Formats: sequence, structure tokens, C-alpha cells
Amino acid sequence: MSTPLLERFVGEARELLQGSASALLVLEKHPGDEAAINEVFRSVHTLKGSAGLFDFPAFTKLVHASEDVLSVVRTGQLPMTSELVDMLLDALDQVSAWVDDIDGTGALRAGADGVSKEMTAALRAVLPADYGATQAGPSAAHAGDLVTLDWLAAIPEVDRLSAFAAAMAGAELQAVEYIPLEDSFFSGEDPFILFRQMPELRSLAIEAAEPWPAMDALDPYRCNLRFRALVAAPSTEVEALFRYVIEQVGMAPVPPHALVTVTGDRNGGPVYGDFVEEARRLVAAADWPALRRAVAALLHLTAPALLLASALRWLDAVLAVPTPDASWVTALIGCIATGDADLHPLAPAPLARPIAAVAAPAATALPERAGLGTVSLTAARILDSQRAILGLPVAPGGYATRLDSVAKTVANILAAEGRRAADAAAWSAAVEAARVQESAAPALDLLDHWLLTDEGTAAAVMQAAGDHGRRRAEAGEHPSPEVKQASRVLKVDQAKIDTLMNLIGELVVSKNSLPFLAKRAEQVHGSREMSREIKDLHAVIERLAQEMQGAIMAVRMLPVSEVFDRFPRLVRDVARKLGKRIDLVIEGADTAADKNIIEALGDPLLHIVRNAIDHGIEPPEDRDAAGKPSQATVLLRAFQESDQVVIEVVDDGRGIDPAKIKASAVAKGVLDEERAARLTDQEAVNLVFMPGFSTAAQVSDLSGRGVGMDVVVTGVEKTGGSVSITSVTGEGTTVRLSLPLSMAVTRVMVVEAGGGMLFGIPMDHIAETVRVHRDAVRRFKQSEAFVLRDAIVPLIRLDRLMGVPTSVWIGDGSEEDAVLVVRIGGNMVGLVVDNFREGMDIILKPFDGILANIRGYSGSALLGDGRVLLVLNLKELL
Amino acid sequence: MPFKFAKNAAIAQDTCTVEDALPLLEFLQAHRGARIDLAACTHLHTAVLQVLLAVRPTLSALPREAFLARWLPQALGPVERKAAK
Repeated sequence: MSTPLLERFVGEARELLQGSASALLVLEKHPGDEAAINEVFRSVHTLKGSAGLFDFPAFTKLVHASEDVLSVVRTGQLPMTSELVDMLLDALDQVSAWVDDIDGTGALRAGADGVSKEMTAALRAVLPADYGATQAGPSAAHAGDLVTLDWLAAIPEVDRLSAFAAAMAGAELQAVEYIPLEDSFFSGEDPFILFRQMPELRSLAIEAAEPWPAMDALDPYRCNLRFRALVAAPSTEVEALFRYVIEQVGMAPVPPHALVTVTGDRNGGPVYGDFVEEARRLVAAADWPALRRAVAALLHLTAPALLLASALRWLDAVLAVPTPDASWVTALIGCIATGDADLHPLAPAPLARPIAAVAAPAATALPERAGLGTVSLTAARILDSQRAILGLPVAPGGYATRLDSVAKTVANILAAEGRRAADAAAWSAAVEAARVQESAAPALDLLDHWLLTDEGTAAAVMQAAGDHGRRRAEAGEHPSPEVKQASRVLKVDQAKIDTLMNLIGELVVSKNSLPFLAKRAEQVHGSREMSREIKDLHAVIERLAQEMQGAIMAVRMLPVSEVFDRFPRLVRDVARKLGKRIDLVIEGADTAADKNIIEALGDPLLHIVRNAIDHGIEPPEDRDAAGKPSQATVLLRAFQESDQVVIEVVDDGRGIDPAKIKASAVAKGVLDEERAARLTDQEAVNLVFMPGFSTAAQVSDLSGRGVGMDVVVTGVEKTGGSVSITSVTGEGTTVRLSLPLSMAVTRVMVVEAGGGMLFGIPMDHIAETVRVHRDAVRRFKQSEAFVLRDAIVPLIRLDRLMGVPTSVWIGDGSEEDAVLVVRIGGNMVGLVVDNFREGMDIILKPFDGILANIRGYSGSALLGDGRVLLVLNLKELL
Repeated sequence: MPFKFAKNAAIAQDTCTVEDALPLLEFLQAHRGARIDLAACTHLHTAVLQVLLAVRPTLSALPREAFLARWLPQALGPVERKAAK
């Protein structure tokens, strides 16, 4: 199961993970680095967003938890420590493993949910305890607080009763307001479907967020809806459901009593004086079953639309628990007695405060509502401004007038808001007190109490004011820089570039046939003019082809930082594990090389760096004893040297001890004592490249399995590069990798053997070409050799080696043989060929299909005249 | 095609996706007073729902599907009652 979307996700996820890991490391060194924390946060945030497109809940949850932790770090509530970095890196590693799974199988491995749960719990454990409550800032990915709950009263009574019953049964009630972004349909969202998945949905109102335009002006794809719901589920569950649109959702716990609203037709129907009396007696006696029966009986007799019926229904709901709250019951009975419509008979202070405390923990989470109950935004603003007016300095004598006007305004608001008489009474008492004391203090205190019981209220009011617009602005903030990036960078599948490369290769080959054509024009058709024109044309095409080739090479060039980037993390982890202190310095990370080279570089470099840390760098005590700084340095350096990329790994560790290497080599039977004694120090150091060689006293899980350097050599040579190592005992080791800039074009020398057959020999093996007098060739039994500058060079005849017909001896000993001196693994070998031809750049195509297993060849290339050139792999042949 | 458009009525079937919002709106614009039958509809995409909310066409039948049957009348309720009168 692999869709283009999933493939893109995998690519993007890897990039984001890499980016966040590097930024985390920066953060560990400089905990205050804002750019770094923002970088990590943004990467993880984006990752969470993209992961949400797919059904990988384990994945999303873990990323979400990481994001939460980062967000707390970002706001400065939690310091960034090495332990925290470890945890986050572990989480990212896990995520990265999952990305590999997704890439491979399209699903997460078995047990992912469990792992995710554990890691998520561990991450969440570091969050401050009040994290869920304090995340009001724009960065937190939690639902914003709802400020106004006045729409609760508009919910049909039957829904409110059902929600109330759920709350009485112990469920948490949440009021959820979800205003989808205008363009949410374009991002594939279906807000309505979220409510379908909502557990315990108790009420749902869908309305226009802004008045509907005329039908003709209606844009069906511009979302103009507001969803308001009442849910009997914990806030975490609701947040989990809305996790991808969380910034568009406002949420608030609803204390059950806020749902109680008695409405209905107050005219008509009898006043149940005797019921009220009886009910009060039953309440006093706490005889709940009897009261329940009485309520049920009366409800049966009352017309449902009446106010009384409504009050009775609520009474019934309040009584539904085994031990109902006496004060609530009393309040509702009072409501029946007066026959007044009361929007919130149970809510307001001071009466309700003890009730709220008893009733639900949710109520205590909203202290400001204990003061004013639900208050509309406008009313809150007006009250706030009245408070400000009262606090202003006043001209002598003007005070009473001002107090009067403020008192009136506030009283009006209280009335308009449907506040209970208790509030109004408290207000007039406060005003009276203020008048007597000639000070605004008592009135101010009351207003403060109403408005600012909680510090957050003022801020919440302001937040709600700018709510709508700001949410949109916030949502718009994130994508914009990415959009800009996307327009400049084109992501292309490597296979497409490879195709282009092949095509250009073939163009070069066809172009090479033009000189042959020119020759034919001249020789066969006798047209010198034509020949010259073809040659001119050839020159033009050649220039274009070369430019094209250069351009496509440039596309394939990647900076070595692609490989280097993973090392800070690796060095840090390994160093911590081994208890060593290492500073990794990277130089020349922007040196570029062909993608294949860069990719082939990863593993060898990994071994070298691990070796350096594990074997090279001493523990801090040893370094101190040797008079070196206890913090060791590992230098990764890349630079370009003619057509080679050179990468050096330099450490300032203990270096390689040639004596130890020799002893170890003898002990392992790699070479005998006599030969060992003759080795120079440098030769001894080179022994580490031999297969099966390791000097580490014990095999650790990092390196020292005896395959390390051997792997390096094989890997590097596969790309046509070379490795060298130099070391000074006590001062450190330098490993140097030289790699070709590009693998795409191989320079070969064409030679003739076996009577006109052409073979290509890679240029980097060739040391020189010489002509050797046949007399100068010495024979030892079957082998031939000759002396080149005082060194004996064995001779091998290429035709014999390849099993092609041998050319016949013609002439005498004064004839010369063409000998190609090649260097293989440090040894010189002379290859006798029939003739040297030109050197050329070819595009080497490795054998595939049934030819793939033939040894001795690197591949083939097409020549300009259509012939196939076989390119030899001398290492395998000799 | 989830919506079948007849002369002066639209019948919704199965899941109405986001793509159906525009045809529905165009139909309603062309046929003011058309009746909508949602009986066989199992889900309405929000965009389709929005068209219904904004235009408030007469509904000849409400969805039988449980979730829609439970919550749609509240949102589209007044129209229904008007249509009944």
C-alpha cells in the first residue's frame, strides 16, 4: 500500500526528523537558543500535522506528546536538560523507525501502540502538573477556553436534561465551540464528521458563524459555520478528536448547574401551593423517594409547555441521584412557588458557591464564574469599563454623580443579564457603602470580585474579542514560510534524474559518431566540404552535450553535510555511553559531490568515526594524565582536491601504536614475525585495513568486531576512491578518504588486445605506460617480470588473462611490448597489451540481468562507432 | 452520484461528498422552492450541510440514518415545521 501522498510523507518526515534532531543537539549545548527551539517545535508540529493525514494513531500520539513537551520548553516553563534531550531524541528515533516501517510495509510494526503509549506517558510525565490548564498561549495546541457559555441556555431542554443526567452520573461535561476555518473544505476537512465520531454527544447546534449572504452570492466552499456542542466526555477525549483543528476549537468544562434553566409559559396552570409546602417538608425530612414520587405525579398532570413543567422536569433530574443536593432542590421548589422564569436558578453566587463546590470539581476550575455565573462578553466589557471609571481620579464634589451613574449602569446590566436579586442586592449595598465612605473601594471590590476573581479573566475577555480573526491569522502564519520554500525547491525522484543522465549519455555517444560520419563523407563520398560542415556541427553539439552533462551533474551534487549531519548526534550518544568528552568539529560541510558518492560515504564514515571514538579517544582521566585537555576533539573535514573529494577524520586521541599492531597481527596469524619486524611504522598502521583485524581488547557494541576498517576500504573502493591512514602515537590519528567527485563519468584508457579487441581500463588504476624490450622481460618458470626503475614488476598478458586469441610473436627480441603499469592494492603489475588507444570519458553501465554475475568487469560503455567497450575490473581479475 | 436531481426535487442517497455541494447549490438556485429528500442519505459533508442551512429549502423527508436523524432536525428544524404547516 503505497500512495504518492504516503511517499511524500515519508520523505518529508525523514527531513523533519533530521532537522529536529540537529536542532535538539544545538539546544542541548545552548539551552536558550530560540531559533533552535523554534526549529524543533516547527518540525515536530509539521510532522504531527502531516501524520494526521494517515491512520497511524501511535505515531501521531507520540509526536503530539513530544510537541507538548517542546511547547512547554519553548514557553520557558521547563528547562532543556540532557535527559530531556535524550528522551526527545529517543522519541524521534522511534518515530524514525516507524517512518521506515511505513516506507517498507505501509504500516507500523506490531506493538507500536504499546511503545507509543509508554513513551507518550514518559514524555507527558515531565510536563508540569498544571499543563492542561495553563496552555492558553497561541503556541499551545490545546483548545482555547470558551469565555461565553450563554448559548447553553439556547440548547433544547431535552438535550440539557440528558447532559445534566450524564453529569449527575459522574461524567465530565464539556461545552465545545468549533468554528472551522473558512478554507477548511479545501484542506479536506469535514467538520461535521468529527461530531459523528464524538463520544457522548449531548447536544449539537449548527449555525452560521456570520449571517448568510444572499443565495446567489453564496460560496458553498467557504465555510461559514459554527458548531456548538455539549459533550459528556473528558476534555482529553474531545481534544484528541479535534487534535488537528484544535486551534479552531474553544472548550470549557460545564458545571452541571449551568445547564439548569427554567423556561416556559408562565401564564396559565395552577400555582401548586400545596405541592410547594409538601415538597419543602419532604426536603427538610430528606425523604427523597417521596419527593420523587410527588414530582413524577405532578409532572404527569402538568402541560409540558408550561414553566412549571420545566421546573418540575429539572427537579426530577436533580432528584435522580440517590442523595440530591438539598439547596438545588430548594431553589427549584422556590422557582415553582414564584412561577418566575429564571435562567439560572442554581448558578449565581453567593448562594451557589457551596453547591458548586459540592456539585462538581469542574465548577471549581472556573472560579470567575462562581462570581458572575455566565456573563456575556459585552456585559463583561461594560462592567470592566465601569470599574475603570470608578478608579479614575475625581474632581471634588463630582464623586457622588459618578457613583450614581456607575451604579445605575451596573444595575441595568445585572438586570439585562438575568442576574438574580442577590447580585443586585449586593451591588446596591456596595454602592451605599461607597456613598457613606465617600470612596469607591466597596463598589470596586465587588466589581473586581465579579470580573477578576481569576487573573486570566481580563486576558480571556480580550482574547475572546480578537478571537475569530486571530485564529485565522495564526493558522495562516505557519504555512506561509513553507509555501515560499516549496516554490523555490523542486523535489524530484532520483530515477528521473538517472533517466536524464542516461539519455545524455546516449546523446554523447551518438554525437561521437559524427566524426566517423565526417570521415566517411570525405573518404567514401569525396566531399571535403560536407566533412567540414559535419565537423563544425559536431563541435556545436559537443559543447551543448558537455554543458548538459555538467548541468545534470550539478543537479546530482549534494553537499557532504547530508552525511555529516548525522554525526553530531552519533558522537554525542557514543561519547555519553563511553563516558568520554568529545567535541565534534565539522569543516567544509558544503563541499559537494555526486549523490551516489555521498550515499556510499555514509557507512565507511560511520565506522571511522566510531573507531576514532571507541579506540582513539582516551577516557578523560587518561587524557588528564597525558597532559591533554580532557575534552577530546574529533574533526570531520571535507574539501575538494582537483577532481577528488577528500574527507578527513582527525582525532587527537592516543593514536595507533605500530608495535601493538604488529604484535596483534602476528598473534592473529595475519603475518609472521620476520615480516612483521621488517614493516615500517606506516606499513604497520596500514595493517588495520586487513580483513579480520582488530586491536580492541574487547568487543564492544560500537566497534571492534574486527570488520571495521576492512568495510571502510571495500566501501570506498567500490566508488573508485581510496583510504589512507596516518597516526602519531599519543597525538592522534587521521583517516583520509579520497573519492571521485562523480561516479557518473568514468575516465578509462582504451587498450587493444587479442587482435583488435578493445578493453577499457579505469584511469585511476593506471600508473604509467611503458614500452619494454622483449629482451628485457625476465622469466621465472611460468611467470614473467621486468625491471622498472629498480623495482621488479610482474608481467601479465592481457590476452591470456582474458582468454582471447593470443597475438602471434612477430619479429625478434628488439621488438617492444606495450605495457600498462597498473597499481592494485599497493602493488605494481604490468599488463601487456597489443596497443594503447586513446583515453576517454565514458558513461559506465554496470552489467545487469544474466550478465550481472560475471566477474572481472565493471561494466560496459558504447563507443562512438557503435562498438561495445568492456571495462575491466582489475581488482577482481588480478 | 449521491444527488438525483428531478424536475423540482433533489433526492440524496448514501454519502454526499464535498463535490456535491456546488451542484446542489446550483440546482437550488435554478429551482427555488425545490424539495429535498434526504431519507436515504447516510452522511452529509459539511459543505452540503452548509448549503442546506444557508438556503433552507423545503425538506420532504429527513434522513433515516441515526446520527443525522438525531441532530439534523435541530439545525434545519424551523424549515421542517414551516413545510409541515
